Amino acid sequence: MTHWISKLAQKVLLLTALAIVGALLSATMVRFAPGYGVDERELDPRLSAASRDAIRNEYRLGGGLISYYCGYISGLLHGNLGTSVFLQRPVAGLLKERAPFTVRAVFLGLTTAWIAASVLSLLTIRWQTWVLEYSATAVTGLLIALPTAVVALLCLYLRVPVFLGIAVVTLPKLFRYQHNILAQAHARPFVLAARARGVSSNRILFWHVIPAAWQPLVALLGVSASMAFGAAIPLEALSDSPGMGQLAWQAALNRDLPLLTSITLFVTLLTAAVNCLAGAIQERQP
Amino acid sequence: MKGQRILRLICRGALVIILTLGLFAGSFTGYSYAHQFREIPNSAPSRTHWLGTDGLGRDLFTRVIYGTRVSLLLAPAAALLATILAAILGGLAGLRGGWLEKIILASADLSMSLPLLFVLIALRALLPLDVSPVLSVVATFVTLGVLGWPSSLRVVWAAARNLRDSDHILLARALGCRQSQILFRQVIPCLRPVFLAQFWISIPVFILMEATLSMLGLGVMEPLPSWGNLLHGAEDFSAMAANPYRLVPLFVLVLTVICFQFVFSGSEELP
Repeated sequence: MTHWISKLAQKVLLLTALAIVGALLSATMVRFAPGYGVDERELDPRLSAASRDAIRNEYRLGGGLISYYCGYISGLLHGNLGTSVFLQRPVAGLLKERAPFTVRAVFLGLTTAWIAASVLSLLTIRWQTWVLEYSATAVTGLLIALPTAVVALLCLYLRVPVFLGIAVVTLPKLFRYQHNILAQAHARPFVLAARARGVSSNRILFWHVIPAAWQPLVALLGVSASMAFGAAIPLEALSDSPGMGQLAWQAALNRDLPLLTSITLFVTLLTAAVNCLAGAIQERQP
Repeated sequence: MKGQRILRLICRGALVIILTLGLFAGSFTGYSYAHQFREIPNSAPSRTHWLGTDGLGRDLFTRVIYGTRVSLLLAPAAALLATILAAILGGLAGLRGGWLEKIILASADLSMSLPLLFVLIALRALLPLDVSPVLSVVATFVTLGVLGWPSSLRVVWAAARNLRDSDHILLARALGCRQSQILFRQVIPCLRPVFLAQFWISIPVFILMEATLSMLGLGVMEPLPSWGNLLHGAEDFSAMAANPYRLVPLFVLVLTVICFQFVFSGSEELP
């Protein structure tokens, strides 16, 4: 138990380090992007020198680089992620507004994909008929060959919710990983021994194969979360769903780096947290 | 087994045809990909325009085959960059071991957990959107190559680590061979199949990523065609239903990716 708590503490520390490094990288991207600190309001001849100084101070151009980084980090700690350039609204507010849509869609999409991929891979491993094997490989092969943006268009055309699109994008990759992991476990000597002793196929699958494949399957959780968040951008952008993916796309088109880097940092921390969770579950296994 | 071999042969043939069309695009069409026939926008296929024209009156067949050149030449370039990075870092981690191995593997794990598309568009957004088409192509594929190394690194690292403990490397060390000799005469030739496998596997991944980025307007810029930006605007379903031949780029893209999957499906088992 103590060992597990210390491992968990290590993972939390790693997550904190990732947050700090990510915040510094985000600040660097914003600070050194071409056009940083240039504001068209400065061109207004009606503005006084004091007003222009105030505009420049909004970008923290007065101090040096260190003060810029310190200001950025202290802002982050106080929940101030800056202001979106093109929406002219606080980034924190936008994230609070949009994150629930994406997180819900990703959660539902991942759940659907995991259930479908698990059922499909268990069926192919349990029965091992060439018809099942080839049809599953053909369907997933075709789905893998479709760009995510095309899946998004299909979802839009068929009027299906975004989470189903996320499920369609992640399902083929998940199926392939799960199928390989289960097939490897199924080919191990103790499974052969169990079959030789006349143990039923269902019992072999649920009592021997799945427990043996459990750890690598749990490790897939983090990878699948990362895939699902990546798929959310084109799916939300093209189906006009008001989530973080659409916001990131709009921010990219408008070169709104404060918004874009904050979204990227937020999603990175979310996926890293899922990875840590998967790691902690793995550690708990005997 | 025989069926698989025949299928692989067919896929290889299809890839050769598609690549030839892209490489010698100028020989298959008399038009430029940017030339506009303003009097016949959105025209149906005809003897002069095999796939018709797009909304700006540009010959669609010409744009598809020039788009093939862009997608099929630059995805391998990105794959090469990613493989080189993976080879250097994975080789170093596997052969050196110790703290260097830990740092490289931790950074690879970290990069693999990043949502790639978010990072890609964040990096792409650093460039202005109105860059020249050629610069947009280079930027897109360099970004893909630079961010695409972590998945290959794990494979290279595992192969390099096995090699580090192998008898012939031990023998070479015992005979007093220099590090550089061991690297160039023993290690790199042994790892070549792994590098090649990772290179071929990465190509369809980068083709798909470019397509998604370009469809979102963040990849290859007009008037330069690529499979992705030829599908830009496909959300206008009524226009697509009226001119279904506009889906030809999607068909070529899917066919290419499936062919790559079939031809190189056994590549990861090469070493």
